Amino acid sequence: MLNYLKKYNLEILFLLPLSLYILGFTMIPITKSIMMGFQDNITGQWTLSVYEYLFSKPDFMRSIWNTIGVTIIGLTIQISLGLFVAIVLKQTFKGKSIIRALVLMPMGIPTLVSGVTLLYVFGTQGYLNELLYRIGLIEVPINWTSGNIQSLFVIAIADTWKVLPIVVLLLLAGLESISKDVYEASSIDGASKWHDFRYVTLPLLKPAITMTVILRAVDSFRIFELPQILVGKSVPFLSTYAYEEYAYNNLSASGAASTVLLVLILIFVMLYIKFVDKGEGLSSGK
Amino acid sequence: MASKSANTKIWIYLSVLIISFCMIAPVYILIKISFSEPHEVLTQHPTFLIHDVTFKHWKQVFESGNLWEPLRKSFTVASLTMLLALAIVTPASYAISRLNKKAKYIFILTLFFTKMFPVVGIALPISVTFLKWNLLDTDIGLVLAHLIGQLPFMAWILVATFSAIPFDLEESAAIDGASRMQTLSKVILPVAMQGIAVAALYVWLNSWNEFTYALYLSLSTKTMPLQIYYYVERGGFFQQAAYATILAIPVVLITFILQRYLKSDYLGGAVKG
Repeated sequence: MLNYLKKYNLEILFLLPLSLYILGFTMIPITKSIMMGFQDNITGQWTLSVYEYLFSKPDFMRSIWNTIGVTIIGLTIQISLGLFVAIVLKQTFKGKSIIRALVLMPMGIPTLVSGVTLLYVFGTQGYLNELLYRIGLIEVPINWTSGNIQSLFVIAIADTWKVLPIVVLLLLAGLESISKDVYEASSIDGASKWHDFRYVTLPLLKPAITMTVILRAVDSFRIFELPQILVGKSVPFLSTYAYEEYAYNNLSASGAASTVLLVLILIFVMLYIKFVDKGEGLSSGK
Repeated sequence: MASKSANTKIWIYLSVLIISFCMIAPVYILIKISFSEPHEVLTQHPTFLIHDVTFKHWKQVFESGNLWEPLRKSFTVASLTMLLALAIVTPASYAISRLNKKAKYIFILTLFFTKMFPVVGIALPISVTFLKWNLLDTDIGLVLAHLIGQLPFMAWILVATFSAIPFDLEESAAIDGASRMQTLSKVILPVAMQGIAVAALYVWLNSWNEFTYALYLSLSTKTMPLQIYYYVERGGFFQQAAYATILAIPVVLITFILQRYLKSDYLGGAVKG
């Protein structure tokens, strides 16, 4: 053991600060947060009452469904749109490098700023309503952020605008790693474009898609800034709900809400790997 | 693929046009609003073009006395976060990259796992602890909090960077009689410099943009993102546009510099909400 320490002393010295920091500032806090959820806010006694309180609150139940809903809607839009943009960007056309830079632009916009910007687009007196009005599609402005299902769409779209560059980059890297020979082979077999896409591109792209879906889903479950700015309290999400409880000094409820969120994320990742990916994408990916 | 029909070509250009429009339009609107007269924006039918350019919102922002302190705080916190992250992560990532395969895998998986924790779940006990330690509202408290997300993120990038440097390089230096520290500083670091610089800039950006921890840990002195949020809550339509533009300027500049390094292998850990 001592020998081992001596041989690797430099490595251990190098790794220590990072490991300690992650332990002290991530692992211990998250454990504390989970424990808080099982403790009474005032007396500190172990109890399940916090969870009973949460699950009896309609706002909390809504926050769970909203979180799941925005993730499903967002992921669907992001993967299909991202795939579309990636395929377009893979084609050869004039001005390709400029367009690539443009597509990457939202990446250079802070999330908060994109939230503010999309407030102008989706506000009742916003630019989307004005555009629809000028085209002649609507007479009365639509209240996009009023708290119905359309608010989920608004947030999903806002999120999509912000993260599309990353999704496109990840998928484009996947697309570019598919060798041309595969397509040549399938075109000799007389495959149509759609067949190519369905039976060649999609299966070969699966590792990239898996990676993207998991990374994006984890972030989407934790979504915080965009709803906080775009819809405020009218549409609760698990993160914003946990913050609300914290702001009202209900630390236990806040801890419990983030624990529910953590569980949700873990369940998703496991389900995805088990049923959709079946261990293929992650093993060949990173 | 060789003979592309005119039809396909039209579709491609049409798609490109629509995509570019959707990417640019929001940014245009943001800047337009910060320069617009209120009557062009706060109406049933906002105008698409700028008719009367006005600098009064910008003047208000600069004269309000609410700009310089948040700017200073954001700048100090982001820079300190970057420096500390560099000092902690660079040696650690090097060590991880030189571990055996299994240990390396475990480390990388742990780093990935920490990214899955909800920030609100970490920020809650952190703010309780910082209250005890008198770190609320301080720059250093915020730096410590920002490091939570940035250390794993930076390690993720740097492990990839160091892993790409071949062992032979070190071995030949060792044969030439260099000590391990000399090898590190004279051989490894210069080769890894570019990756390190890219990672550091990203960390600076992430900290500059960070909102959640700042919200939990600030009572009176705000960072730039909080300042924007403050105006959003009060409905300060034009101030928020101006502040948002100011917040975005360094980000746009740095992203522009970083763009040629934007490769997806850096992004595994870079995906951030």
